[in-house]
Formats: sequence, structure tokens, C-alpha cells
Amino acid sequence: MEEKKFYLTKEGLERIKKEYKALKELKFAKTKGESPKVLNSEDLNPEYLAFQEDVNFLESRIIELENIIKNAELIKIPRKEKQNVIDLGATIWVEVDGQTDEFTLVGSLEANPSIGKISNESPVGRALLGHKVGENVVVSSPIQTTYRIKKIKYHIS
Amino acid sequence: MENILDFLIKVGELKRIKRRGWVLRDVKDPETIAAHTFRMTIMSWILCCKKKLNLNKVLKMSLIHDLCEVCAGDTTPYDTILPKDKKQWKQILNKWPRLQKRQKEKFFLNKYKKEQAGLKKLIVSLPLNIKKEIHNLWDDYEKGLTAEGKFVRQLDRVENLLQALEYWKKEAKFAIGPWWVQIEELIDDPILLEFIHTLEQEFHPKFKK
Repeated sequence: MEEKKFYLTKEGLERIKKEYKALKELKFAKTKGESPKVLNSEDLNPEYLAFQEDVNFLESRIIELENIIKNAELIKIPRKEKQNVIDLGATIWVEVDGQTDEFTLVGSLEANPSIGKISNESPVGRALLGHKVGENVVVSSPIQTTYRIKKIKYHIS
Repeated sequence: MENILDFLIKVGELKRIKRRGWVLRDVKDPETIAAHTFRMTIMSWILCCKKKLNLNKVLKMSLIHDLCEVCAGDTTPYDTILPKDKKQWKQILNKWPRLQKRQKEKFFLNKYKKEQAGLKKLIVSLPLNIKKEIHNLWDDYEKGLTAEGKFVRQLDRVENLLQALEYWKKEAKFAIGPWWVQIEELIDDPILLEFIHTLEQEFHPKFKK
């Protein structure tokens, strides 16, 4: 089965690698250093459970991060002549229903609409891809929404 | 055991606190935070079975995702933009609020800090292992750190859409627009998008994509 690609900005990939390294170090410290002596006993005291819960969290996150790093695809700034077209990594200013909004189009992994990072796999993200300044993009749901593209900018670090 | 009882009494408050989004819109007999959590957890369980996720983590995360509201209260994206004059509210509430990226970041950070402080206060006397687990799960949910966190965060919005549609069906003057507008920006999970398509067909049978 083909593994899923994770589209990440350079900054996003660096953050993931940094977290991976920190968690590996933390896990090492926890399992070699602070490990309670009851690891192999059935005595489930609260201290042991707290430790175990943490290690479980750590392990599942480490596995997840390994998979992301293995399948990461860096988002690159398009060539200058293509920077008038919306692609991954673009920050877009749009006019919607008389209001101005601003989002950056990112891969699913970095998406956080609460801070203006919209996933390229969301209906709005998909609809905006490939459009230029001045174009109207209609997103079809029971309520039709028109996004008028005012400005596109690329500033991937 | 006293500390656990104290915690549970406080959590019970969520059976009484009404969801602010409905209160702002004068919804008659609006649901409580606990009622939202209940259906959201059932949804997580059923929809999670279609995905390769840690169900145990997803269920616990759904259960605790709004615990912080016992102390921090319920926050909506409209809170910072609603004027004192209530007459203007209807017009504002009928649209999904649009903000500049910097404003969104500021709102998110303030909400995060307030809710984190609320959660810490609520769980302070719980046993260390449970306290850590609740905090880790909540942080994952808030920031969408892992696949489970991202899924539950989006699921929260989908349950909210379902509830809005039910209010809209009951009372036609309820403005459903903002929910459809936001959902198209917030959701990218394929299973949840499929579920949303089912909602479109059920509540808007005349709508064709």
C-alpha cells in the first residue's frame, strides 16, 4: 500500500524533527534513569501508573513522528512566474461576504484553522488551489460562499 | 477519595452550564456542555472505528475536551467582536467572523491560556497519573498534536454542526449559514467529510453538489 505523503513547510518539518529528538531523549531518560523498580511487578501503584502512562504517550507519539519524517514532502516556494497562483504554502487574502480574511494553505498535518492555517485537503483549501488574484472561488455547500482572491504571497522559511 | 468526589462534583457543573453559542442566539432550552460531550463521545466511538486510531485515547479525549470550561467558562469566536448593544448582535451572529491571521493567533493563545489555567485548577487534587493523562489529552486536542487530537478537534465541530442543524430544523429563523461556511474550512478528515455529506443530504435534500 502506498504510504501517505505529509506536506510540510521547512519550519514544520524542523519542528517535527526537534520534537522527535526531544521525545527520544525524554524516553531514554525515563526508561533508563527514572524507571521505578516495580516495572516487572504487578504492584500497580499510582507512581508506576503515572510513569507508564507517560511512556505510552511518548511511544505512540515517537512512532507517529517517525512515520511523518519518513514520508515528509517539503513545500517549496513556486518559481516567481507561478507565484500568482495559489499553491501549498501560499498566504491568501480573500474577501468573503463583505469581510476580509487571511489564511495560509498548508498540508493537513500543519493545519490549524484557529490560527489561520487551512488544510489543502479541506473543501475550501481544495477549491482555492490553482486560482489567481481577482478570481472568485465558489465553495458549494448548502450555503454558497464566494471567496474573492485579493492577494497571494509566499513566504516559506 | 474526598479529592475525587470534589472533582466529580465540579465536573457535574457541566450538566448545568448551557453552551454559550446557543445562549447568544436565544435558542430555547439550549443544550448543556455535558450534553454536547455525551453525543460527541458516542460519535467519536462510532466514527473512529472507520479509522486506524487509538480508540481508547479518542474516547478519553472526547470525554475531557471541555472539562476546562468548569472553571474557564465557554468561549466563542464572537466574544471579542460583539458590541455592548445587543441589537447589533443578530447581524454579527449571522456571519462567520473573519479575522486577520494575527488576530486569530491572539484569540487562540488567550483562549488556550485561560482554558489551561481552568483545567489545571480543576484537576489539581486528582492523583498524579490521572492529572497528567487529562492534561496531555487536552493539550493534544487543543493543538491537534497527533492524529487522534486532530480527529477529535474536527469531530467537535461536526457535532456542533449537527446540533445547529437540529435547532435550525426546529426553528427556521435560526441562521444556519455560519456553520456551513466554517465547516468547509475546518474539516479535512475524509470520514468526517463523508459524514458531513450525509448531513447535507438529510437536512438539505434539495441541495446538489
